[in-house]
Amino acid sequence: MRVLLFLTALLLISSTGMSTRRADAAPGAFEQKVLPLLRKRCYACHSHEGKLQGGLALDSRSGWQRGGDHGPAVKPGDVDGSLLIQAVRFRHAELRMPPSGRLPAAEIAVLEDWVRQGAPDPRVASAPAATGGVDLRRGKQFWAYRPVTQPAVPPVKNTTWPRDPTDRFILSKLENRGIPPAPDADRYTWLRRVSLDLTGLPPTPDAIQRYVSDQSPQADARVVDGLLNSTGFGERWARHWLDLTGYADQVGTSNDVFAEHAWRYRDYLIRAFNQDKPYDRLIREQVAGDLLPHKSAEERADNRVATGFLVLGDVEIVNPDKLKLETDHADQQVSKVSQAFLGQTVGCARCHDHKFDPIPQSDYYALAGIFKSTHSTHKIPYGIWSGINTVELPETSAQVTLRKGREAEHQRKLERLRQEHRETLGRQQTLTAQMSKASPGSADLKPQIDELAAKSRRLASELEHAEFFQPNSPRAFGVRDGEQTGDMRICIRGNPYALGPSVPRGFLRVASWGPSPPIPAGQSGRLQLADWLTDPRHPLTARVAVNRIWQKLFGEGLVRSVDYFGIRGEKPSHPELLDHLATRFMREGWSQKKLIRALVLSRTYRMSSKGSAESLVKDPENRLLSRMNRQRLDAEAIRDGLLVVSGELKGCDGGPGLPLEYLENTGGLKQSGVNPPNFRLSRFRPEQEFQRSVYLPVIRSSQPAPTRLRDVFDFTQPAQMAGRRPQTVVPTQALFLLNNGMVRSRAEGLAKSILSSPGETHDRLDALWLRVFNRPILAPERDEAAAFLERTRGDGGGSAAIPQASWVELAHALIESNEFLFRL
Amino acid sequence: MKFNPVLNRRQWLRASACGFGALALQDLAYAAAGTLAERPPHFTPRAKRVIFLFMQGGPSQHDLFDPKPYIRSRHGEKIDSPLPKQLLQVGTEKFLALAEAAPVRPRGQSGVPMSDLLPHLSGVADDLCLLRGMSADNPQHAPAELQFHTGTQNDVRPSMGAWISYGLGSESRDLPSFVTIHPQADVRYYGSAFLPAAHQGTRLTVPLQPDQTPVENLRNASPNATIQRDRLELTQRLNRRLVDRLDGDQAMQGMIEAMELAFRMQRTAPEIVDLSRESKATLDLYGVGNRTTDRNGRACLLARRLSEAGVRFVQVTMGGWDHHGEIRSNIRRLCAETDQPAAALLKDLKSRGLLDDTLVLWSGEFGRTPWSQDLSGTAPIDTHGREHQPESFCAWMAGGGIRPGLTHGETDEMGYRVVAGRVHLHDLHATILHQLGLDHTRLTWRHMGRDYRLTDVYGEVVKEILA
Repeated sequence: MRVLLFLTALLLISSTGMSTRRADAAPGAFEQKVLPLLRKRCYACHSHEGKLQGGLALDSRSGWQRGGDHGPAVKPGDVDGSLLIQAVRFRHAELRMPPSGRLPAAEIAVLEDWVRQGAPDPRVASAPAATGGVDLRRGKQFWAYRPVTQPAVPPVKNTTWPRDPTDRFILSKLENRGIPPAPDADRYTWLRRVSLDLTGLPPTPDAIQRYVSDQSPQADARVVDGLLNSTGFGERWARHWLDLTGYADQVGTSNDVFAEHAWRYRDYLIRAFNQDKPYDRLIREQVAGDLLPHKSAEERADNRVATGFLVLGDVEIVNPDKLKLETDHADQQVSKVSQAFLGQTVGCARCHDHKFDPIPQSDYYALAGIFKSTHSTHKIPYGIWSGINTVELPETSAQVTLRKGREAEHQRKLERLRQEHRETLGRQQTLTAQMSKASPGSADLKPQIDELAAKSRRLASELEHAEFFQPNSPRAFGVRDGEQTGDMRICIRGNPYALGPSVPRGFLRVASWGPSPPIPAGQSGRLQLADWLTDPRHPLTARVAVNRIWQKLFGEGLVRSVDYFGIRGEKPSHPELLDHLATRFMREGWSQKKLIRALVLSRTYRMSSKGSAESLVKDPENRLLSRMNRQRLDAEAIRDGLLVVSGELKGCDGGPGLPLEYLENTGGLKQSGVNPPNFRLSRFRPEQEFQRSVYLPVIRSSQPAPTRLRDVFDFTQPAQMAGRRPQTVVPTQALFLLNNGMVRSRAEGLAKSILSSPGETHDRLDALWLRVFNRPILAPERDEAAAFLERTRGDGGGSAAIPQASWVELAHALIESNEFLFRL
Repeated sequence: MKFNPVLNRRQWLRASACGFGALALQDLAYAAAGTLAERPPHFTPRAKRVIFLFMQGGPSQHDLFDPKPYIRSRHGEKIDSPLPKQLLQVGTEKFLALAEAAPVRPRGQSGVPMSDLLPHLSGVADDLCLLRGMSADNPQHAPAELQFHTGTQNDVRPSMGAWISYGLGSESRDLPSFVTIHPQADVRYYGSAFLPAAHQGTRLTVPLQPDQTPVENLRNASPNATIQRDRLELTQRLNRRLVDRLDGDQAMQGMIEAMELAFRMQRTAPEIVDLSRESKATLDLYGVGNRTTDRNGRACLLARRLSEAGVRFVQVTMGGWDHHGEIRSNIRRLCAETDQPAAALLKDLKSRGLLDDTLVLWSGEFGRTPWSQDLSGTAPIDTHGREHQPESFCAWMAGGGIRPGLTHGETDEMGYRVVAGRVHLHDLHATILHQLGLDHTRLTWRHMGRDYRLTDVYGEVVKEILA
């Protein structure tokens, strides 16, 4: 009763606004009723002993005064306006507390009374701030954020070993540690190594003979130039880049929606690598190609296709909440750009300051604002779906003429189909009418009618298919600046409905040399972002790029965490070499081919993979590179290599990987309905079996049969961005090699090919070894192989030639062996 | 072979090895050897293994477990949409209430509610705990299924089974720790992502046709076993000579052993799925031989056998629950296909004393709406279906220290929002790990500088449902 009187008195006072005194005035009620309730119901998630969910602490007065992500939890005296009360009443749109279920009404009343009375809270201890700031000045001291230097090439004792400055950096460390470099690999090994690394294909017997018989000092360079100038180079290195993009011929993951233009980006990359498009230019096109000036229709088309980089990952397209969807897309683009080009995990800063790298949350939103101002996806008229933005590609006049021809022909085809369909339906109707009038006993027309009905159904789907896939002017997936451009507000804990302050668009401050430039009105800022990424002063871009190239050639990066140059990443084994290469790379016009050429012609690259006993003891992980790292071939190199070995590889000029021209591969094509047009891949073009893997369709949800080996041999899952693939050894791989139909077909092709050229058994064995292992056969191997052929011929010997079946077994034995599967 | 309780599990397995294909599974697990070594949990576990019956497609909780009198009373009439403005759904614009397909009644002593469509599960209602306040974050299959299996809606993260395998290793040296039976589509659902590959799920198919094999590439490509053996011997001779020439190589050595194992598996792997030694009573219990239940019955029986032999995480996928139309007939069919096998699994585990430390989970990736869906816009109400609903749905758990006979959680009068006992997917993951003796905040793996976990930064153990 006394309490009640006291409270009434407080209520009266509250109108005078003396909140502080009021709050201090009722310790008894708070401690008896409110505090136990807070402890019991809230502390587990909202206290410094428990967690600070949503940034909210309720174990101190200052905790609820400052509040969490949504602001102050309690407005003393304002019951309806206090978030705490809204949350416990379960009336707030998002906050419903406690999450396990609504409190009993009596408990809610206690809290309401408390707030109504001005929220008296005698607790004075103030909690420390929930998040600390990011110290950018200290962050800039970290090696990766310091400017790229041009270190002096170190002196070495053994001056005859090095060929390239690279070798001096490597040798100098080895000499310091007293580890001798491995001897040179033999010519066969080096040729196979460099062929696989540069083109993903083993050398042909002709190429081997040519190189081995070329005794001139230029022999190596001639081989390397030949490889760099072959289309195989682009086909190999474009695939490396695709690993960083999440590329697939499928939009997102849901319902098998075909990404019918995705291949244009893949082909663009292959062309770009083959043309040795400078790396800085490659970045500019992929980030802001649509905004770049151009001199020709081809250049304009390339520029637009390149921006597919930003939209060809695992882009979610079916979230019915479009605001969340678009925010997620911007997030994906921030993560992709910062991981691929900069080796940074900026995505971590979406919800809070980065936990260990010097990337504040505001830097994330500075970047995200650029992509939020970019048009990437839009709602489409199918159900709740979104589609990836497409852009029209300019054509040359020659292309226009060709297209007009195709269009005219297609129109004629459509006309034919329509007419045939009409006629079939007509005949069907006539016969149906005849049958209904016919007297019983007259000729049965039913089978004829059924046949016509089936035909008209087939024609209808052919017609639908032909109408859908008209030879229109070419399009590609790509982006453009949005109608709405501007800065973005921080999404509290990543929630696009809980907005914090607006952040001016800009870049990562820890990796910047000055303030971000202002972004002109109406622009997204992608052009400015591209400028920043490719500025020679950027501490990360060139380092990350040369390290990726190094990893592809030497098996491990100088920084082993190739996708992560942050505080918790690995430190470079040769920081001076990394900077030397980065500087050189930029100085030589960001040419990837020049860098690769220099590296594969280096002495370091030439080393045998067999290390000395000393090197194995002193440097078991080979961090100092006293020997070459061996590598198991990746999925593509295994499949493509088998095709080379069997002589069945067919060239390909690119184009759509999904054979959508086959009716059985398309699902619904109706322009209305719940789901967008989709595919169900069941039939491949006959030639696809023999084309390089990079041209085969990539499906996110499953690998279709001809590409199953991707999953078995560590393909980068196309929902992921990863610069380095794992190399596992699991029995499913062995089963694949032992029994898979594709492997068997290659063995058969190989045997057939070996038998097609004239010669004795020993000539054929020579040829077989040269094809598969790219080296001459050894004497004991010849004996074993001959014995094997005799044993498996099954006819008990005799004079007849060894049957093809035995050669198939022998060929199979070779291609399932380690020497084919690994590059030494 | 009769189960002898005197033998411990490993002895039993060894004794019955030739009849069970243990050798083959051992081979599958082989490469894993060190990686799969048994590891102690963080604290005393209540469960040693998990069986996850995945009802792919999203079964309707309104028809099976949680119908609402309000919806029933308004059947076929328009109700108010509780959807936030920014959410779109197709074919539900009329918001017509759709009553349950069949009566749902309290079952057993505990009164756990279940549909007449689930007669077998109704019989074991007292053994399971119904979660009526499940919730997830994405209304589409692919991201929702990915979230259910890996905790994230896109990206590539380790699956639940992989995390558990990593946390505890294999209970038996002879078996892989994670087997997934009849997985559909995305490899990420049973992948190990950045965890060592040994933790990825081993795919098994129960062959129903003569041309099917339990694992891929099992059929000898050579004309006969002798020739294949001959061929492999040549391969291995070449392999060994190369390794010698190089003074050893771990990866190549691994491949040499893997080839040998693969060869053996061709003979032993089919034995894994050979149920011929099971008693007729057991086969009948699961509905093996009955056309409707044969496939799922075999899969569930296989799940029991694998669990019994020490596989940490067995998943059985039973798809077909995506009923956008004709839900009344479709759900009847799905119940007929899945009810008996799932109930048989619980009975069988219980009678063998395995239910105490085996945690069974039955769930889809989300539930379905209380209002109807009609894509044509003109069909009569009784032929309508239901749209996806991640906001609330039902799942059940049994065994492994989960309180039996409990109905936990409540939804609003419409059956859209959870009002009490909410169990988010992250909470479910945290709870499963907790029952296995693993603290979900401590089961982490460092990748690209960051410590990742199944529950990311979320998840609370649902204490209320623990026995």
